[in-house]
Amino acid sequence: MNAKIKLENHDAQEIKYTTCYMCACRCGIKVTLEDNKVRFIQGNRNHPTNQGVLCAKGSAGIMKQYSTAKLTQPLMRKPGTERGEGIYEPISWEQALDVLTDRLEEIRSTDPSKLGFFTGRDQMQALTGLWAQQFGTPNWSAHGGFCSVNMAAAGLYSIGFSFWEFGAPDWDYAKYFIMWGVAEDHSSNPIKIGLEKLKRKGGKFVTVNPVRTGYSAIADEWLPIKPGMDGLLAMSMVHVLLKHEQFDYEFLVRYTNASWLVVQTPGQQGDGLFLRDENDQPLIWDIDKEAFRNGMDGDIAPALFGEYVAPDGRRVKTVMSMMTERYLDERYAPENVALECGLPAESITRIALEMAHIAFKETVELPIEWTDVWGRKHDKVVGRPVAMYAMRGIAAHSNGFHACRAIHMIQMLLGALDSPGNFRARAPYPKPIPPHQLPENNIDIINAPNTPLSRPPLGFPTRPEDLVIDEFGNPLRIDKAYSWEVPIASHGLMHMVITNATNHDPYALDTLILFMANMAWNSTMNTANVQDMLRAKDEENFGEYKIPFLVVIDAFHSEMTNFADLILPDTTYLERHDCISLLDRPISEPDSAADAIRYPLVKIDRDVRPWQEVMVELASRLKFPAFTKPDGTRKFKDYPDFIVNYERSPGVGFLAGWRGKDGTKSLKGEPNPKQWEKYIENESFFAHHWPDGQKYMRFANKGYLDVAADVGFVGKAEPIIMQFYSEPLQKFRLAGQGLYDGPQPNNQVDRERLVKYFDPLPMWYEPLEQQRVDKEKYPFFALTQRPMFMYHSWDSQNVWLRQIMAQNYMYMNARKAAEMGIKDFDWIWVESHNGKIRCQVKTMEGTQEDTVWTWNAIGKQKGAWGLKENASEATKGFLLNHLISELLPEKAGERRVTNSDPVTGQAAWFDLRVRIWKADPGETGSWPQFDALKALPGDERYERPDVLRYDARTHEKN
Amino acid sequence: MKLGLVIDLDVCVGCHACAIACKEWNASGTTGPLSDYQPYGAEPSGVWFNRIRHYEMDEYPNNKTVNFPMSCNHCEDAACVTVCPTGASYKRAEDGIVLVDQDKCMGCNYCSWACPYGARELDRSSGTMKKCTLCVDRIYDLDLPVEERQPSCVLTCPAHARMFGDFDDPDSAVSRVVRERSGYGLMPELNYNPTNQYLPPRSTPVIPIDAKPKGGLKESIKQFANKLVRR
Amino acid sequence: MHPAFSVIFFTVASGAGFGLFSLLFIADTFKLGGGFSREQLIIGGLIAMALIVFGLLSSTFHLANPKNAWRAFNRFRTSWLSREGVFAVVFMPLALAYLLCIWFDAPLWLRELTGLLSAALAWITVFSTGMIYACLKTIRQWNSPLVPANYLALGYASGSLLLLLGAVVSGLETLPYIAMAALILSIAAVLKAIYYFWISSPGLGPTINTATGLTRAKVKLLDTGHTHGTFLTQEFGFQLARQKAGLLKVVVFVLGFALPGLMLVWVFNQQGGQGAAIVAVVTGVIGAAVERWLFFAEARHVVNLYHGAQRC
Repeated sequence: MNAKIKLENHDAQEIKYTTCYMCACRCGIKVTLEDNKVRFIQGNRNHPTNQGVLCAKGSAGIMKQYSTAKLTQPLMRKPGTERGEGIYEPISWEQALDVLTDRLEEIRSTDPSKLGFFTGRDQMQALTGLWAQQFGTPNWSAHGGFCSVNMAAAGLYSIGFSFWEFGAPDWDYAKYFIMWGVAEDHSSNPIKIGLEKLKRKGGKFVTVNPVRTGYSAIADEWLPIKPGMDGLLAMSMVHVLLKHEQFDYEFLVRYTNASWLVVQTPGQQGDGLFLRDENDQPLIWDIDKEAFRNGMDGDIAPALFGEYVAPDGRRVKTVMSMMTERYLDERYAPENVALECGLPAESITRIALEMAHIAFKETVELPIEWTDVWGRKHDKVVGRPVAMYAMRGIAAHSNGFHACRAIHMIQMLLGALDSPGNFRARAPYPKPIPPHQLPENNIDIINAPNTPLSRPPLGFPTRPEDLVIDEFGNPLRIDKAYSWEVPIASHGLMHMVITNATNHDPYALDTLILFMANMAWNSTMNTANVQDMLRAKDEENFGEYKIPFLVVIDAFHSEMTNFADLILPDTTYLERHDCISLLDRPISEPDSAADAIRYPLVKIDRDVRPWQEVMVELASRLKFPAFTKPDGTRKFKDYPDFIVNYERSPGVGFLAGWRGKDGTKSLKGEPNPKQWEKYIENESFFAHHWPDGQKYMRFANKGYLDVAADVGFVGKAEPIIMQFYSEPLQKFRLAGQGLYDGPQPNNQVDRERLVKYFDPLPMWYEPLEQQRVDKEKYPFFALTQRPMFMYHSWDSQNVWLRQIMAQNYMYMNARKAAEMGIKDFDWIWVESHNGKIRCQVKTMEGTQEDTVWTWNAIGKQKGAWGLKENASEATKGFLLNHLISELLPEKAGERRVTNSDPVTGQAAWFDLRVRIWKADPGETGSWPQFDALKALPGDERYERPDVLRYDARTHEKN
Repeated sequence: MKLGLVIDLDVCVGCHACAIACKEWNASGTTGPLSDYQPYGAEPSGVWFNRIRHYEMDEYPNNKTVNFPMSCNHCEDAACVTVCPTGASYKRAEDGIVLVDQDKCMGCNYCSWACPYGARELDRSSGTMKKCTLCVDRIYDLDLPVEERQPSCVLTCPAHARMFGDFDDPDSAVSRVVRERSGYGLMPELNYNPTNQYLPPRSTPVIPIDAKPKGGLKESIKQFANKLVRR
Repeated sequence: MHPAFSVIFFTVASGAGFGLFSLLFIADTFKLGGGFSREQLIIGGLIAMALIVFGLLSSTFHLANPKNAWRAFNRFRTSWLSREGVFAVVFMPLALAYLLCIWFDAPLWLRELTGLLSAALAWITVFSTGMIYACLKTIRQWNSPLVPANYLALGYASGSLLLLLGAVVSGLETLPYIAMAALILSIAAVLKAIYYFWISSPGLGPTINTATGLTRAKVKLLDTGHTHGTFLTQEFGFQLARQKAGLLKVVVFVLGFALPGLMLVWVFNQQGGQGAAIVAVVTGVIGAAVERWLFFAEARHVVNLYHGAQRC
């Protein structure tokens, strides 16, 4: 007889919709609650991001909500104890806010730059950036500098949108898809949804990755490239495309700067800049009119190839001619790069030609009428259905900016951008190239007490004048972003903050605020030494810490909180108001502009406050102009009030949906006092679906650009011409060559770097660290990645997720391991120029032979994250971070330079080289080991039982 | 009816979403709670109904990684039911779902010995055997929206690598896709007739290439001619 | 398979008990060696039943939810485990009746009938115990008629050694008992040897390829999807080194068959008969326990294919 099936007690349940925060994907979730307990979290099928599906992290949100690592109250380091000892005393929020306000008031009224405010995996940079700007410190950024700025910058300086979060493959029409250096990504669920669509329709999926896990598992073809060689591979593909004359002539002429003319006066000022007319417009040679004409105009017939003599007598050449000369060189022939890339020449040629075949012989045409920005009407949209996506594997190399640009170069040659079947922009992108936003660099404003910056701390420099340096060329930012060392550091260099602040280079900080960033553990390079830096004291300054005051905001007891002088406990994502704004990192999809909110679903059961609420409070106490009424009283009651009523420009605020007094306006409109309610009614998200005529070719689509200009996505409805050749880079190079009419570096190291790495066309060079280490001594490349069920997430302590993985191994190629006498589960030593670690090995087929890799952020410090001290994460798990230095190896006669991309300052995590050998018998357990974190006041509330039986049901089992 | 799952190995990316969604639903579901042992300790472990394994086929560089989710196959000839001495394990006549009556199970593990697929896991706290219920407490719950009356693993799968349906109906989506894609059951030689079917990874599509190289650098550049293309 | 102590104790003890009881009936019927006295028969019978009861009780220790153990009789029609339980339970009153017949000098036909029925049930119960394992297609090493044959042979071998000890203690003519023990031990040893030979070659069972359906190339496990053990690895993951298994098989033959056999010669030669018979019982039972441990330890459940075994 059948047993009775116990069904849900729906009467006791409530269903609410909010936005997931287990990673950066920000899916819509439908949460079933039973008496303030979370019964079930599932994907919201109406949400544009995840369309009903949800990943492992999302479903494991329950165990995050009930984590025993949750902080419970504000804590102050106990007087008389040392930083890092982890001995704390509870204080009230009032006390905590008073202490912090006093300190910040003092800094703001004397030297605002002495505050550093850096944020990790947050999703509210529009607010944190505004806060820093209002405070008046340039020392703000999120973690993009050590994550993906190479991708963002390369895209924004080339095509006006980018990999990372500003674009997405068009899965509906793509027939060919190449994925570069991605195992899992920010767009976690959309990529999974998309790959299945692509494969179901018979499209081909090629993956370029030294490791075959994650998405690469289901690729039709795997190219096991050597790490750091992607740019070379891309340029070799360009070589093949050019050699076979496989490029989209019309696209190049109409939408790129391939026809723009470049001045050829080597050794003279102005060399390598565009030939421009008196209005500073770039010129082309019109083969119909036989005249130089404005390259931005509509009615032109530009020459794509050729050398000409400008009216002033200077020789000029089209960008395309320069490109063919460079990339047709035998240097880039597949057979000449095969060995370096570790791939057969045949594969390189074939893949390039397969892409060309799909792009040009299997074109997608949609009968959609649209008007281009020059006024010409089109009766269809032509799509080259070759899509690409690229991320960390490209980004985390010091040559990643150029590698990513090389990938965009392929897309431009194929005409495979923002049209059906290829890589499409997500609103508010595309933007002008680069976006019209410069970082604050006025030293007087920066130094002025009690004065906001006139513009945000971060932006997109176009020339040396835009650098954030003083008159001697010294950096004005603590992370040295926008200095000669890393001129286009558009996301800052969070990975340099602690090192620089400790060395008082370029100056000392007074207070460092870190939000949701584990800079004392897995998010920093050189972990063990960075912990020492946080403990370092200044003998000259009465034994004060080198970083005098450290404030950490986190919801969990991380390794970082252990170093805080003041801990401000945050809430979980189910307990607070939040917004995912179009002013920030978009959750838009190619077909819709979208934003979303969170609101409290679960009652807070401890003395914690949402950080955004605290920021609004601090901003009000400190009387930031944007947060204060003219009469000096606070302007916003709280965070929800701020979100509704703050306007960046008239009608444009944090949330784009249900604007206008009555909530009828979209994207732009007066504040709506009922905006939160409207979002909650509408499942906590807003999507503006683009009409067909505004979905494609948006870099030159009049209908779209008119709307975009109106709602503030772009300044004006003008064409966004894609840039094969980047003039801003050339300006920096001229400065390095001493040929720039403006600021120039006075340091030889900087000059050399500018000359070498600021090539206006995509280039490849050996990653910087590898140029300096002995490759015979350190024969392996070493990488990390994060598993899909923990990607971009705090959650390795999650009770369910940690069962899937509680220990990481060093993976290596099986054949290689056998040659070295290394077997599965052997303990090995791994050594780099920066130190050594001990860890356990697993062998596999799917790893490039010269590469070893591991899962990042599995290893934990003992006692952290609410785990017991004997947790495998602490005893056997390990971090590769100890081996990676934030500085390049020393070179005689040179100052220490950041281990980052020389253009963007992107942390070069994956440039690491190591050697490995078997540990002696008896040498087991991971090494190095660290002191255990002590329990915090308030931890007593957590039982940490040996058996957990979570059951959200409150009703009698019926 | 013969209800079961189709698992598409061609698109499963091995993300473990289905495993956690399963855990999440069933923790508070009809056979819940599902115990977790040493949840904060040295060797965390627990009761799961759905586990994802990862395999590699062939050798470098021709290797392929295959992600392999496994849960109860709801076999037609379910030996786990045959061997159960108490009658706690049973196969429902109406839809073929194999269940364990938690009130009858004595926790002898014998059914798990008879199962070749590792579908059954003992919950040490309740002392009873637990297993995939095909979310029997979802699929017949008329209070759920009709499109959500599916096992939670199927609902959540981001790659849509899981399908749920009636294999008795030759026109159902699951029956059709199994025919079209040569779906197979696991370990057929044991004759358990598993209901769940796996779709194999497909072979690589072949794309024609149009090679007409222009020769060396000089020749290529010379041959590039400007065309009259207006913007 | 994980060798659970309770199950080893259960099968060895109850096997010996059932064996002893059946052989006691034969000894009684044919008055072997002069025949046991009434008291001796009762004591022997009670010893046998005690072994069975302790064995059965111990078997419930491996139940995770013993309060439902009574339900185990429900599925007699399909489950060998249920059948074993039912037969064991039916055996008990019959065995008791047989002993009562002896005690109260019941008519011979009744005594012989109850004795024959209980001996037959003992045989069937041990057979059922063997079939619990032999019916599992998931474990190649068990899925063989040799398994019930082994269970019977070893149970009766232990029983015969116990009976010999009884005969020695009771001062009976030992030759028939020596002959019986020698015969059963020889059969058990031969069957065990055939079994070990048989399981040593993998045959055509499931492989990692058929388990996954990925048959085009070599398949290797990359990750089990969980770092630490699960129910499956704890229950089925037990692995025994080939060398250690070989050594233990030598132990099985030396302790289980050779030493008891040698002791039979000893008893036959009357060189300290009682001591030798005790040694025979003790070594025989230890040998049987080691055999039973190996029986589990060497069994490889097909679920191991999913955890990376190439074949089982």
